[in-house]
Amino acid sequence: MHNPQVKAIRFIELFLLSSALVLYIAGSIFEDTFFLRLATEALIFGGLAMSVDLLLGIVGLLSLGQAFYFGFGAYLSALVLKEISPSFFLAIGIVTLSSILLGWIASFIALRSKGVYFALITFGLAQVAAKVVYNTRSLGASDGMMGVPILQIWTPFGSIDTSHPGAFFLITLLTIGVLYAVLKYFLTTPMGSIWHAIRCNEDRLAYVGYKSKGPKQVAFILATVVAAVSGALYPMLRGFVSPELMFFSVSGNAVVTVVLGGVGTLIGPILGSVLLTSFKSIIGTWTVHHHIVIGIIFVVIVVSAPKGLAGLLAKYLGKNHTSKEGE
Amino acid sequence: MLESLQFIYAPQIVNGLSIGVAVVLMALGLTIIFGLLDVINMSHGEFYAAGAFISVSLMAMGVSFWFCLLLVPMILVPIGFAMERLLIQKVFHYKDRHILTLLLTFGVAMVLEDAYKIIWGANPIKPSAPISGASELLGVMFPNYRLFLMGFGALLIFSVWALIYKTQLGAIVRASAFDKDMSSSLGIPVMRVYALTFALGVALAGLAGVLLAPIYSVFPTMGRDFILMAFSVVIVGGLGSIKGAVIAGILLTQLQSISSLYISPVWSDPLVFTVMVLVLMFKPSGLYGGMKNA
Repeated sequence: MHNPQVKAIRFIELFLLSSALVLYIAGSIFEDTFFLRLATEALIFGGLAMSVDLLLGIVGLLSLGQAFYFGFGAYLSALVLKEISPSFFLAIGIVTLSSILLGWIASFIALRSKGVYFALITFGLAQVAAKVVYNTRSLGASDGMMGVPILQIWTPFGSIDTSHPGAFFLITLLTIGVLYAVLKYFLTTPMGSIWHAIRCNEDRLAYVGYKSKGPKQVAFILATVVAAVSGALYPMLRGFVSPELMFFSVSGNAVVTVVLGGVGTLIGPILGSVLLTSFKSIIGTWTVHHHIVIGIIFVVIVVSAPKGLAGLLAKYLGKNHTSKEGE
Repeated sequence: MLESLQFIYAPQIVNGLSIGVAVVLMALGLTIIFGLLDVINMSHGEFYAAGAFISVSLMAMGVSFWFCLLLVPMILVPIGFAMERLLIQKVFHYKDRHILTLLLTFGVAMVLEDAYKIIWGANPIKPSAPISGASELLGVMFPNYRLFLMGFGALLIFSVWALIYKTQLGAIVRASAFDKDMSSSLGIPVMRVYALTFALGVALAGLAGVLLAPIYSVFPTMGRDFILMAFSVVIVGGLGSIKGAVIAGILLTQLQSISSLYISPVWSDPLVFTVMVLVLMFKPSGLYGGMKNA
């Protein structure tokens, strides 16, 4: 593969996977909890960002309300774990199935419009949902829900529990990895090509004889599932859920993450999330005003490198490549 | 029946109207910026907060409220002008400029909000109302400041409409929005017109901030809460329509204040957003979509 974009993606994949393993081993040796938990959270929010990227980078639809589906997954998972049974697979299964249904319903509302209107309608939907959760007593209202139990997760290597930071980090890595692999698989199918065509020129698609409605709906539902499953991991990590998970700042943060990491690469958002989370934690030790720094970086990236870090890397690799060719 | 109308509904309607006027001022800026420049300004709420914060600081320095009404827009115009020139015009030529400008202004909003926290602190500041007392109308007491707010706001809204639709300057602005290339070949400095239009929208948001500061407290995230309402108004009215913004602004703020009587204040926001989503679903262009038929 000589395509610099593909090379950049491959590079980021390897980089993230190897640093995850290094972190896991180092964390196990030093019995560290903080960094492993931080990395787990980065992966979870990376999953949310990946769902934003599927819509924005692949299909060309900017969603400003992806926190709705993330929060839906988190709340539903917390409910299942608390009320029905503390089972990882049951929670993930129920969240997956319900989010398919939710995404299907929401797609009928959201996909009636495109462009700026799509952004605003997803934003509006999420606002309504967040306010409803915030005002509902039985969901804990503004306090959220606490006391999500620690669970045993069955694996071929024996049963492990979520209170073990290293083990849960690996479980999260695996879950997000599976979501990533599923999305990457979809990109290789004809559906993936249609998504790409929709982003380039949706009107033209009809002339060539393809309908864009169905593929857009599939992408929307997939994005909902990815966001919801990522959200389902959250209460397992933190033991609680709060309505803040559904607020606009979470959706906005996900968009920032995607743009920072690289739009349209799927792995870029994970990289962006890892970088942003570590960045916030480092800057957070000496000032609470990390938003101003992140905001400035974000603005600079939008203006000067709209393809984000993955784009910069691809550019660098491409340059290297051509200069070698020239020799 | 008559008493409840007099003592419960009338004050609620007046309260709703005075907030409505301020929301319309915000929405007006948003809708002008969208209608003429095709930019969704996510940082609009932060400019509203800027107006409030600057006026608080000026008043602490001894500047009178009335002078602030003049001074704050004058401070914000060059800031808005510079922002359009230095940032927004950088991404204006891309194909997906809708999304890029939305992202860009979103980033600016992030930076501004944190900057306010650093400069003015996170605690709410409450300036005193420049007009005190209350007047009796039909046996009900209304705060004088709210009455002033309604009158002054209505005057401002009318002036903006007149500026855009009844003056030579407005014709230039509309021409630049309608056909950029044709206008620039007629000698109109289109890029400067765009930057000025953006600055005008931003100044309107700042003015709304000055006017509302004595009613609400001033705090760094004030813009974020208020912008949601302004967005709903702009969408329901039709992106780019001045008439739509005025009508939708008044309808939605009335819906908010009456529903908080009947249901509960906590449910009035979800109700407004539901209306917005329904409008987006069934008539995305809003009540009076498009600048051209405003």
